[in-house]
Amino acid sequence: MDILVQIVTCLNRTANALGRYLLAPIGWLPGWFSMTIVSAMTGVLLLVVFKYTSNQKAIRRVRDKIKAHLLEMKLFKESAAVTLRAQGRVFLSVSRLLSLSIVPMCVMLVPVCLLMAQLALWYQSRPLRVGEGAVITLKLGGCGESSWPNVIFETNPAADVVVGPVRVQRKREICWHVRARQAGYHQIRFQVDHETTEKELAVGDHYMRLARKRPSWNWLETLLHPSEKPFPPDAAVQSIEIDYPDRASYISGTDWWVVYWFVISMVAAWCFRPWLHVSI
Amino acid sequence: MAKSSIRKISRRTVLKRSAIAVAACAAGVGGGSFWLGRRKRNSTHLGKKVIVIGFDGMDPQLARRMMDAGELPNLAKLRQGGGFRQLGTSIPPQSPVAWANFINGAGPGSHGIFDFIHRHPSEQCAPFFSAAETVSGKGYWDVGDYRLQLNFWPFNHKLPATLLRRQGVPFWDYLDEAGIPSTFYDLPSNYPPSPSQHGNHRCLSGMGTPDMLGTYGTYQHFAEDGPQGTVNEGGGKRTQLIFQQETAKAHLVGPENQFLKESTPTSVEFLVHRDRQANAAVIEVQGRKILLESGSWSPWIRLDFNLSTPAFVPDETAHGICRFYLQEVAPNFRLYVTPINIDPSDPAIQMAEPDSFVQDISDRLGLFYTAGFQEDHKALSNGVFSDDEFVRQAGMVLEERLALLDYALQDYEDGLLFFYFSSTDLQSHMLWWNNNDKHPTRSESEAKKYFGNIRQLYQRLDGVVGDLLARYGNRATLFVMSDHGFANFGRQFNLNSYLRYHGYLGRPECTSLFRDVDWSQTAAYGLGINGLYLNLKGRERDGIIEPGDQQEAILQELTQRLESVRDVNGQQVIHHVHRTDKAYSGSATALAPDLVVGYCRGYRASWATCLGDLTDEILLDNDSAWSADHCADVAEVPGVLFSNRTIDMANPALVDLAPSILNEFGLPIPSSMEGKNIF
Ligand SMILES: [Zn+2]
Repeated sequence: MDILVQIVTCLNRTANALGRYLLAPIGWLPGWFSMTIVSAMTGVLLLVVFKYTSNQKAIRRVRDKIKAHLLEMKLFKESAAVTLRAQGRVFLSVSRLLSLSIVPMCVMLVPVCLLMAQLALWYQSRPLRVGEGAVITLKLGGCGESSWPNVIFETNPAADVVVGPVRVQRKREICWHVRARQAGYHQIRFQVDHETTEKELAVGDHYMRLARKRPSWNWLETLLHPSEKPFPPDAAVQSIEIDYPDRASYISGTDWWVVYWFVISMVAAWCFRPWLHVSI
Repeated sequence: MAKSSIRKISRRTVLKRSAIAVAACAAGVGGGSFWLGRRKRNSTHLGKKVIVIGFDGMDPQLARRMMDAGELPNLAKLRQGGGFRQLGTSIPPQSPVAWANFINGAGPGSHGIFDFIHRHPSEQCAPFFSAAETVSGKGYWDVGDYRLQLNFWPFNHKLPATLLRRQGVPFWDYLDEAGIPSTFYDLPSNYPPSPSQHGNHRCLSGMGTPDMLGTYGTYQHFAEDGPQGTVNEGGGKRTQLIFQQETAKAHLVGPENQFLKESTPTSVEFLVHRDRQANAAVIEVQGRKILLESGSWSPWIRLDFNLSTPAFVPDETAHGICRFYLQEVAPNFRLYVTPINIDPSDPAIQMAEPDSFVQDISDRLGLFYTAGFQEDHKALSNGVFSDDEFVRQAGMVLEERLALLDYALQDYEDGLLFFYFSSTDLQSHMLWWNNNDKHPTRSESEAKKYFGNIRQLYQRLDGVVGDLLARYGNRATLFVMSDHGFANFGRQFNLNSYLRYHGYLGRPECTSLFRDVDWSQTAAYGLGINGLYLNLKGRERDGIIEPGDQQEAILQELTQRLESVRDVNGQQVIHHVHRTDKAYSGSATALAPDLVVGYCRGYRASWATCLGDLTDEILLDNDSAWSADHCADVAEVPGVLFSNRTIDMANPALVDLAPSILNEFGLPIPSSMEGKNIF
């Protein structure tokens, strides 16, 4: 698993470098607009990738076969035997078509995951507004019986602690309720025994690239939360999470952005198919 | 917030202007009158403003004393201008009855609301809430454990519905028809909200609006010393919390899943993690964490209750909201959860007219109490809240109301604006005590101290009136009114026990109307707070009293006997007994009691008798924290009426307000109204 985390971390580094600059316009564009542009562009891009990673000739051949079988069904609809045989062949051809897209799917899987993780940084949550509160949860490593380190939330101009620290014994978590004070990106610091640990906090009322969680040493968590470095496996702190508010929008809001992204990218790919001469 | 309100107002203005321009063009081509349809644009109000502020239960005696002492300068200013009168209340002076009088401009005979509780005579005294009734649906599709009701073709099942029982024509219908806009915030006696025919009327329902459990407010209380399992107590549920490694798991009970054949309540699981050292706790509910220090309240939290359906239908979700209040961390962990209110941003039932009105408010104000009763008097009566905790919670309700008033005023242009405050009623029920008699639950000094809160409340609301006067001066006609006044409630009278003692209700050893009463020995019974019913032949299922002479004789006898009841100290208990055949007129009297018992100040119907229970004693001390009331005689607890115009009428009553409001807008007073113009 160690190696997997290292690979994901390495990929994240590239994705972050690209995402930070290529997706930067999201920060000043209206959400619906940026979401539509990003979705349409990914649709077209994926189409191009599909074109060069799939066997286009074979796909065209299978599609022609399907057309022929459908015609056969139409012409001989009185003959049950012919219709049934044609139906079976259509089914087989569709399966063949699906198997032909396995290679391009595999090629696209990783970049799409990386892209979605980058988009989630912008759309899954909204930053805190000045004066707004949120819960920060610091999860400690170790097991139930191990002793608790001394954890201090360092005072900073970005956020005040309203309640906390409150210990959740069972989960080895420490929670604070903080209130944002200053707009911008801030590093909040925690003293854990004698070490200092950091987590980014985003405050503002526009679209900001924000990390809900600084992940633990786990490949999936690292993939889902690419923005900040995962904590090493032997660190006293396992993860730090900020409970940012949901963004309410059916286009560019929490959870819904994925649906919108999927629909628009599919529509865009479908529309650009004839121009790019791609058979799907 | 201010920015969005400006945007909203300006958008409305733009829309209005466009509508006027389009209407003008249409008129020019002669087609306007056709497609503008029934909406009457040529109203007579010409930007007229009328604002009605309802302070439920504001008492004229206390108001007068405080005005004399210079403590209510703004109300005193109105009094100085000839704009103050005692306001006659309803028979009986109960809020649902009184507000319905206000709404119809006529008495209970026109609206058919006579008490909090009515009975079905055909089912021999089966009680139900008078304001609204839920009627069950018809037809269903049986699918395994589920019962689906589909109100479309080919099923055409009839869905269950809640119906407003108030009858007659509400006065805003006349404004609506005349094209005069009217907006009501938290109007009592109007749930579910009556529809607007012409689209000029908006209303957010108040008293009578249920919580998500379909009750008038059910808090949920979790404590280490709570009862095992969940125990229901009037107005609340108590549950024991068991901590393991400082974490406890519990469930918040939500609405019933009506899709199931055996409808069962839904619930939401939550975890409580306690940190004794920090004197605080973390509550985890539906993926959200809430941090609370001992003694602190959470903001409103959204809860999604999953209503399961058969596999082929996607599950439904009902949205509710609640606030958590951490009372104590250790040694006895105690957590109070408000009644689960309907989410105003996504209401599960219609609680406003039009439907979207409550969402418009929520867009600006976020989440807020939506149930009719917001001050949690039940929590105080049941000992879940201390006096101070109740005062604090009631204060939070008032703050929300003031924010709503702010919204209402920003949104208001012209026409009628009605705004309701419950604080003066529910705080008074729990905190009022204006003499040196022994208080039911407090020492003399405590009683004095908490009554001070009522005086402070009056002062705060006087400030609200001051703001309105500063804002509108004489550009708006202002009515500040209450539906009734207030009195101490020190002694309670069990009407049914009295009737049993005098042989009107049998058997002599019976304990409840719903368990062991012998109707063949019963001539009369009490139900609700002020109602007395004869067991009349031909009307009640098991009636024994012959209509006509026997009925008349027993009515006279009971009236005379009840008015002569004296307490142990010789004090009169009942001020007046009203015969409803004389007091009420109109077509909605079918469910009216025969007599309405009007108590003297200091007395009220006992807690037991209201719900048909009998006690050994007829007169008892009230031992509830609900220590003041207004369900006395109409003459004992009048309300207040203030206006920035001189009031000419010497003895105005609630029924006179609707006619006066219509008159302000230049509309005729309908013949169905009993009241007259007060100016
Ligand atoms: Zn009341």
